[in-house]
Amino acid sequence: MKGRLTAYAGYQLRDYFVTRALPTLIASGLVAWGLAAARGITLSDLDPAGGIDARDRIQQTFELVLAAFAFVAGAAAAHGVVARHRARGYDRLVFSRPVSPVRYYTQGVVLAGIGAVILGIVGAEVFAVAVHPVSLPGVAGYVALAWLLVGGLAFLLSTVTAFYLPLLVLVLAADLALDHFAGELSAAGVGPVAAILQFALPPAHVLVTLRGEFARGLAIDPRALAWPAGFGLACIVAAMVLLRRRPFRS
Amino acid sequence: MSTASDAGTADAGGSAAGAVIELSHVSKTFASRPASPARALDDVSFRVAAGEVGGISGPAGAGKSTLLAIAAGQLRPSSGSVRIDGIEPRRFVEREGIAYMPQPLALPGGWRVADALTRLAVLSGVRPTYTKHRVEAAMRELGLYDDRRRRVRSLKGDARLRLGLAQAIVADHRVIILDEPLDGMGPESLDRLRELIVRLRAFDRAILIASRDTAELQRLTDRVTLIDRGRTRRPGTPRRATPADAEGVFHITLHHGGEHVLAVFPNAISLGRSTYAVRVAGFGPLNHGLRELLDRGALLAAVTPAHAAVDTNALAVNEVGT
Repeated sequence: MKGRLTAYAGYQLRDYFVTRALPTLIASGLVAWGLAAARGITLSDLDPAGGIDARDRIQQTFELVLAAFAFVAGAAAAHGVVARHRARGYDRLVFSRPVSPVRYYTQGVVLAGIGAVILGIVGAEVFAVAVHPVSLPGVAGYVALAWLLVGGLAFLLSTVTAFYLPLLVLVLAADLALDHFAGELSAAGVGPVAAILQFALPPAHVLVTLRGEFARGLAIDPRALAWPAGFGLACIVAAMVLLRRRPFRS
Repeated sequence: MSTASDAGTADAGGSAAGAVIELSHVSKTFASRPASPARALDDVSFRVAAGEVGGISGPAGAGKSTLLAIAAGQLRPSSGSVRIDGIEPRRFVEREGIAYMPQPLALPGGWRVADALTRLAVLSGVRPTYTKHRVEAAMRELGLYDDRRRRVRSLKGDARLRLGLAQAIVADHRVIILDEPLDGMGPESLDRLRELIVRLRAFDRAILIASRDTAELQRLTDRVTLIDRGRTRRPGTPRRATPADAEGVFHITLHHGGEHVLAVFPNAISLGRSTYAVRVAGFGPLNHGLRELLDRGALLAAVTPAHAAVDTNALAVNEVGT
């Protein structure tokens, strides 16, 4: 007897929307609000009738919201898929069935990524109708790339440790901080060390840099995508290898 | 429960090979604290043959759950060998699946009972056309049908144990491993469990049950291995037919010739997989009936005594059905 894992995909996608969609929207809204507030953007600045300056601010705000959503949705795509599943002991029942833990978890992460893209498209469509036109393929592509990088890394970390979420935030923040303070670090004579360190860290800064092109629906240089996409894919493959070797917690 | 009249369909499914759980010189040390590693199991060996119900008993902390998790392929032994049907348990599980009731039973609390069983049936590979039927049958057998819309988190104690059993039997697996199914079970549910074990017994099935309740385990199983602090205290010895069994129920498994069973034993009940429960008034009538079955061309695969208490309950239910 073989488990019907493909048929189970509908349940996994439903679980994403029931348990993770709303927290993702709330968390990304809070992050975007914090980022906008730090840049001095208020709701009154987002009036489409406010001329060219207003349109620029709206575009800038949308890019902030998109980046916040993509990072949060990417992390949420892998949240609970492995580490929490194990911590709560759900794996013991599921993997007494004729299913492969590698396939079960990978399918869950991929479906959550699809759910995140759907959520991003719906949100972007609402924004386009209510406020300002945006590129839906661009939004979908950006959320997918963020899922690949952030979700892939979260997937890998969650196969290794139950504390994957703080660790994920830490390594992403470390990369962004190294990028932000690159000039200062170079001036302090530790530029090469910082560059090596940044190469080992997930390229979150590349994702941040690309948000404008994606949000505007511009053509993206595939070489710019290679690093984040390759890093994310490598994480997913590493997670699958680890799951094959160690399907259970102990 | 089906009757002997549906013997033609009772042979369905499964490999003809018998499932065997075999643990040989298994030790397990948890190294979470390297300074003082905890030795949960020390050189434990046992075997559950095809058609057999094996029991593991011992006090809390004896290592029963660790042993069952190793048998289920969810823990790796530190040393020793574990095989199900001759292969490594994880490989067996991914190939065929097992019916496993872990302790404690962990399922997402927000799932409803019927939904949880349907999901697990899908993961077990139950075909779409049978899923609803299997889920309903499992719920009815374990008295959960009225609770089908309740959330898992609202089930406590006995009902939770019954859900654990229901998820284990929602698919038709050849290896069944139940961890503490008796712990906190009420008398009515205990009867259900006894009936369930009677029904699940089949010549190609291996059933392993762990419990602290040695007395009840001795009634439910063919042999009980006692362990304490990770060591075997008393290896299980096969139960033999006793005079108490003579006026009771026997399980007869046939290789072929099931169509003759009702003619020879009119009160026979089909347990599925060519196994029948027959009630006889002693060893004489049993042997007489078996001879007649053989004369009619049936080929006998196994005869095992079933415990009187178990089968009295089972037959009481079946007679209502027939």
